[in-house]
Amino acid sequence: MSQSGATVSQECITAFNELKLNKKYKYIIYKLSDDFKEIVVEEASDDKEWDSFREKLINATTKNKNSQGATGKGPRYAIYDFEYSLASGDGIRNKITFLAWSPDDAGIQPKMIYASSKEALKRSLTGIAVELQANDSDDIEYDSILKTVSKGLAA
Amino acid sequence: MAQQPLSSAVPPTDIYGGDEVSALVLDPGYCSTRAGWAGEDVPKSILPSFYGHIGSTNTNLFGDEYLIPREGLEVRNYMNRDSVVEDWDVAPKFWENMLVKRLQPERPTAPGKNGLNDDPKKDGEGDVSMDGATAEAAAEAQEEQEQEKALQENPLLVTEAPWNTSKAREKTTEVIMETWGCPAFWLSRTPTLSAFAAGKATALVIDIGGSNTNVTAVHDGMVLKRSIQRSPVGGLWLSSQIRSMFEHAEPKVALTPTYLIENKTPVDALAPAQARLRKFPFQIADSFRRYEEERVLTEFKESVVEVWRGNPGPYRAQGTEDFIKTQPGRVFEMPDGYNQMWREQRYRASEGMFDESVGYPLPEAERITKEQTIPSLIRAALEAVDVDLRPNLLGNVVVTGATSLINGFNDRLNNELIGMYPGVKIKIHAAGLTSERRFGAWVGGSILSSLGTFHQMWISRKEYEENGPGIVEKRCK
Repeated sequence: MSQSGATVSQECITAFNELKLNKKYKYIIYKLSDDFKEIVVEEASDDKEWDSFREKLINATTKNKNSQGATGKGPRYAIYDFEYSLASGDGIRNKITFLAWSPDDAGIQPKMIYASSKEALKRSLTGIAVELQANDSDDIEYDSILKTVSKGLAA
Repeated sequence: MAQQPLSSAVPPTDIYGGDEVSALVLDPGYCSTRAGWAGEDVPKSILPSFYGHIGSTNTNLFGDEYLIPREGLEVRNYMNRDSVVEDWDVAPKFWENMLVKRLQPERPTAPGKNGLNDDPKKDGEGDVSMDGATAEAAAEAQEEQEQEKALQENPLLVTEAPWNTSKAREKTTEVIMETWGCPAFWLSRTPTLSAFAAGKATALVIDIGGSNTNVTAVHDGMVLKRSIQRSPVGGLWLSSQIRSMFEHAEPKVALTPTYLIENKTPVDALAPAQARLRKFPFQIADSFRRYEEERVLTEFKESVVEVWRGNPGPYRAQGTEDFIKTQPGRVFEMPDGYNQMWREQRYRASEGMFDESVGYPLPEAERITKEQTIPSLIRAALEAVDVDLRPNLLGNVVVTGATSLINGFNDRLNNELIGMYPGVKIKIHAAGLTSERRFGAWVGGSILSSLGTFHQMWISRKEYEENGPGIVEKRCK
């Protein structure tokens, strides 16, 4: 269980398995429900365009309890199925990557909730190859992430 | 999906399930102790961990307002320099003073219960279940309406240093459950809370505090024990540097605390002070004077001291001091009116945090070694963790602690890290708000314990009663 006590809804695992086993999705974005009690799927998509995925994270919002429900920048969790060919020409690799997105300019409370609940989601999803933390838009440039994910072996 | 706004008249029904949990957060440190309500942005009560002790009547006085010149008053501290509780007779009283007397309004009902700061005495059963306000009461039917204790309605989260001893943890647990009668509690390690408050479950936490500096790797919300590095390079050490700097200044600067000054006349820079000192008809304890000196030094640290950022060259390099001498300095006026401009000295005093070969001479006991400088602590902490984890930690450095607020600290730290780990992406996260930096762990604890979901995490009274104080070692890892 996570340190915050938040739980993971079944749909999170179902969507992940669809991605992992059936390649139905390219990425899944998870968020905490509005009462911050449960992690749910915000979006699962087969859109292969990294930039639209990136935009979605950058524009993600969340409610902030302390400022009377005003919305501000919000953290998210995401699963992205990286596919790349090796520079050595040895074929194609897939790496299912877990991304914890917590923009520095999000409110302290949502950041805290996401950070302390991450463990719950990560443990429920089996088969994650790489895990990353990202805190500003520079951290989620495709090239730099791919380099980390592939340990520099991608073409 | 639009949600109906909750009617505020309806209290939450499950135990601590609502977001109003009336939980308290306590964050004890060597220099100050912070306490407040969960969910608030800053601790409502901040007291120096130093307290007044009067030997003749054996009384203890808690709070800054009592630390005044007074016959027989000695200043003591209930913590030791390692930020672990030392005096278990005083600590619970000190905490109770904050958690009850300073945080909670006096309850108008039942004067019998108002002996808040005394030992709770049995006061017949009766009007314990006040009215609907305490919805917990129903759910806690198994909890007999036993004697009134100080904090029967408040779950409590207490922070602790990552090296806190298991004996101290059990002791804390006993105080919480037996003395105060809390319905539930939790102990959290400060680096985890600081990392969470920065939105990170994995981070290298650098906490530059008052009596201690520690560097700790946190992975997925767990403190990696092997990585914990600590040293005395904190606020008090910096004070010693400044004392030594005053000592070696030309002319020597006298450190006269404010309480001794009756009146003063303005003087020119570097001219001897023109002040009349106050006389007291009784002996002032050395510990009191030292505490008061520390106040002056704190002000000096806040307004004058700066960390050398490393441009155009390292401080120890030839020519750097001469360069700084040409730069604008800062003027500081001592309580007795003496004032002067501080230039390279204000950098030199803090330089020892990074480079043990620079700085002012200190007595043997306070001198630090190369291994105790901040860069060495970081290196040692990283070397103690898995190689694969290191880049992730360096990309998520969390800086907290009040002493990190010294001007230029983060820039210097960044430069040091880039020099130590070329080619690795380094990112330092330090809260912009002063209060989040000073009370990082408290703020983290405040948010964590105010989460509606956290009620499943608290160690409940029932669990404690079944397992005894040892439960804390099992649950709060």
